[in-house]
Amino acid sequence: MTKNKHIIAWFVLGVALGISLLLAIITTYNYTSSDAYCQSCHIHTKADKSWPLSTHVNNESGVTVHCVDCHLPRKKGLHQWISKVELGVKDVYTYWTKDSASIDWESKQQLEYAVKYIPNEACKECHTNLFPKNITDEGVTAHLYYTEKEESLNLQCISCHLDAGHVMPNYAHKKLAGIPGISTSNTELFAASTPVKSFESFIEKIPGTAVSFSMKAIPAGTFQMGSSEKESFRREDEAPVREVTVSPFFMAEIEVTWDQYWAFYSETYSEGRTAPEFVYKNNSSNPDVDGISGPTPPFGFPDQGWGGVDRPAITMTYYAAETFCQWLTKKTGKLYRLPTEAEWEYAARGGTQTPYFFEGNPKTFSSQGFLHRFFEPDTAVINRYVVYQLNSKNKSKEPSQVAPNPFGLKNMLGNVMEYCSDYYQPDAYAQTDKTVKDPKGPASGEERVVRGGYYALDASEMRCAARDYTRHEQWLRTDPQQPKSIWWYSDIKGIGFRVVCEKESALTSTVNDTNKKQ
Amino acid sequence: MNRRSFLGAATTLTVGSGLLLNGCTGKGGASDGSKAGSTPLKQLDGTYIPDLPDKAMDGPVIKAGVVGCGGRGSGAAFDFLNSGDNLVIAALADVFPDRLNSLRDRLKNEKGIEVPEDKCFIGFDAYKQLIDSDLDMVLLTTPPAFRPIHFKYAVEKGKHAFMEKPILVDPTGYRTIIAASKQAEVKKLNVVVGTQRRHQRCYVEAFKKVKDGMIGEITGGNVYWNGGMLWYVDRKPEFSDMEWMIRDWVNWGWLSGDHIVEQHVHNLDVFNWFSGKKVVKATAFGDRVRRVTGDQFDFFSVDFEYEGGIHMHSMCRQIDGCSNNVSEFIQGSKGSWSSGDNTIRDLEGKELWKFDGEAEGKEHTQTNAYVLEHVDMVNHIRSNKLVNQAEAAAYSCLCAVLGRESAYTGKTITWDEISASTMNLMPENPKIGPMDMTGYVVHKPGTGK
Repeated sequence: MTKNKHIIAWFVLGVALGISLLLAIITTYNYTSSDAYCQSCHIHTKADKSWPLSTHVNNESGVTVHCVDCHLPRKKGLHQWISKVELGVKDVYTYWTKDSASIDWESKQQLEYAVKYIPNEACKECHTNLFPKNITDEGVTAHLYYTEKEESLNLQCISCHLDAGHVMPNYAHKKLAGIPGISTSNTELFAASTPVKSFESFIEKIPGTAVSFSMKAIPAGTFQMGSSEKESFRREDEAPVREVTVSPFFMAEIEVTWDQYWAFYSETYSEGRTAPEFVYKNNSSNPDVDGISGPTPPFGFPDQGWGGVDRPAITMTYYAAETFCQWLTKKTGKLYRLPTEAEWEYAARGGTQTPYFFEGNPKTFSSQGFLHRFFEPDTAVINRYVVYQLNSKNKSKEPSQVAPNPFGLKNMLGNVMEYCSDYYQPDAYAQTDKTVKDPKGPASGEERVVRGGYYALDASEMRCAARDYTRHEQWLRTDPQQPKSIWWYSDIKGIGFRVVCEKESALTSTVNDTNKKQ
Repeated sequence: MNRRSFLGAATTLTVGSGLLLNGCTGKGGASDGSKAGSTPLKQLDGTYIPDLPDKAMDGPVIKAGVVGCGGRGSGAAFDFLNSGDNLVIAALADVFPDRLNSLRDRLKNEKGIEVPEDKCFIGFDAYKQLIDSDLDMVLLTTPPAFRPIHFKYAVEKGKHAFMEKPILVDPTGYRTIIAASKQAEVKKLNVVVGTQRRHQRCYVEAFKKVKDGMIGEITGGNVYWNGGMLWYVDRKPEFSDMEWMIRDWVNWGWLSGDHIVEQHVHNLDVFNWFSGKKVVKATAFGDRVRRVTGDQFDFFSVDFEYEGGIHMHSMCRQIDGCSNNVSEFIQGSKGSWSSGDNTIRDLEGKELWKFDGEAEGKEHTQTNAYVLEHVDMVNHIRSNKLVNQAEAAAYSCLCAVLGRESAYTGKTITWDEISASTMNLMPENPKIGPMDMTGYVVHKPGTGK
């Protein structure tokens, strides 16, 4: 009997313990799932403030969508528990080991990071009907695109609705309205472009606008284009090394700025969409400056709200950059164009033949490699010249933040990738003689060369010889329009360009004077 | 057939019915085929297989309104009334009083149904007044161009809908239908579309066999609507531009979608339904040689490429005095099915299965698919179950639009391009009166020297 009593006692105790444990777990779960709890650890005050202002709290229906509703998979079950524990462990680790003030919250709200913290299924758990009442035709188009391509293109709800859970004026889900203001302090509208008498650097003025920019005279020269097997991180497409001679030209000191780009946009944009073939045909007919067809209004704010006077313009397509040059040529009377790949590398090297135009081994600066898991790379030298992964906070910087290369050019390496006029082919260098003058690249191809890497990439991509190329389709992945935009990329931020001006055209040009024209 | 009257449509429809249904007259026993050789029933991927009883279940009164009282609307109204008991037509809407009155009279004379004056609505906005007039469901049977806006409003107001095919004529209409259809799902509204092959026993039985794997994996197909011309209406002095086009609507692309959309969609829909595959792109040609009025083509030939690199060829023609064929043929890795004689054959041509049309006639009192689709609709409403064919029909209609636009332009067009295209054929603020007719010309693909 006593034995039985013992068994019963143990059993009752076990059940009681089990229930208590279960209750404790549920209580803990609920407690740790409250908004207040989330906000008690995460010292992201901005996020705390922007959440109540978003449509997920501040809406007509009075429904509040809580932290865990979006940041955890909503369907209750093991999957949610595992996600919760994963996130929790990470949060606790960060909480105890890092100073919240040192965490770059701003870049964490960008799409690349946000996707890690917003499981798409969480959105769809509530938003079961993607075609709700009062949806616009554009909305239906976009959501049809999403439903058809979600898996094949890995589309996320927040690819477009990044501002859904936290108010983010710079990532608002709407089309750009109006023409963004020019940030230069200069208020004088230039009447004429700058006359160029000799092959010396000059400040170009865009007639009819308040915008000017610096052009550096790049002397003729011969250099070794590409990289040898000895160079760290060197890739196959950088070979074989050729001896390239480049004729003199002018190159912009900095990447084309938003001031320059908005000036172009304001004079050429069209509100409605025109079929690309009409735009191509029109622009290739060498129209007068007023006849150039420029960009349509972009979706969202292509400058990402990063501000600044000289920050490079980004997210335009190659065609848009080319059209900008066409417009600038008509405006100034000098032949502006995109650099060839050879001109670009020659200018970037500034007379040097080392991996960078400054001293240092890519291995020292790069975060790649086994050792760099434990030791932070030595960045003292590269920080002076290059905006890249370790110093950019995931956005571009103004040129005043870096020192120029020996030719006086800034941000050749890093900041944003720059279009070259060459078609990209991995074996392009093997297609010519070993000694070549002013090469223009393969005669045809699918994608264009882009050079210099951008702010989010590793130092190994910042080498003078490192080659890269456009990924047209991928960069338009989330654009639901048909035809897709020929002016703006939806899925790449680190792309911009820099103009060059042909020496002869500058020296022989008659000054373009808007007053004369009228 | 009186070509000069809109009534011609009703006559055509009846004549057409014979054609449409001819597949079911196939004779011969239902040889069960080589069951041993077929794979188990494939996943139906949510594909809907209707029950096809002869008559709808009993239940409370269902009050329906007809938007578009021409041949198609009259046909649908009577098919609806014939599908069961306690069914009434309670309201009518049309742009033209004569069309409305002719259906109103027929309802009174043939069915003893009197639609009161205050439930008869005239004009382009008549559909709104009708939908707002205390109904359970609507029959949307105007020329197809107006279907998307009518359907959208019906769903907004919570009405079940029967829609005659086609249900759209352009990509904008496609998107309107898709969005409204999703909202109909949420609101638990039933939607049946007049792609009646999906309610025709010979097709449904063949579909089951194909899904059962009797012809193996689908590797291609051919679909046909090669038939005579329909009808046209000569312009009368008192007709305005708009009135003439609407009365002559089967000849105007913006109203009918052209006959590849208006008629041939039936056959395209069969391939889409049987294969469950998605179109990737289409390359087409077509032209006009005999048509008297309007801006449409007389024939189209389209190479549709589906996912997996499968090709389906479609041809449609509306010219009298040519060889006719209205059917679908699907090739599979183990055999083929043709709706022409409703037979499944193996790769050597040996008959594996044949639909027994005679047996159907003996077993069933109702074999008219135009009525059976309404039986299904009524049963769903009365049993609180849901059926929604809008999306599938919209998909097939846009496939037809894809083929049409490829033929008009001479260019290969992708599904992505057509489904996101901003093309909208509807004139702004349509009303009876003069129109700018300069845009209504026959398309010419390519360039010439």
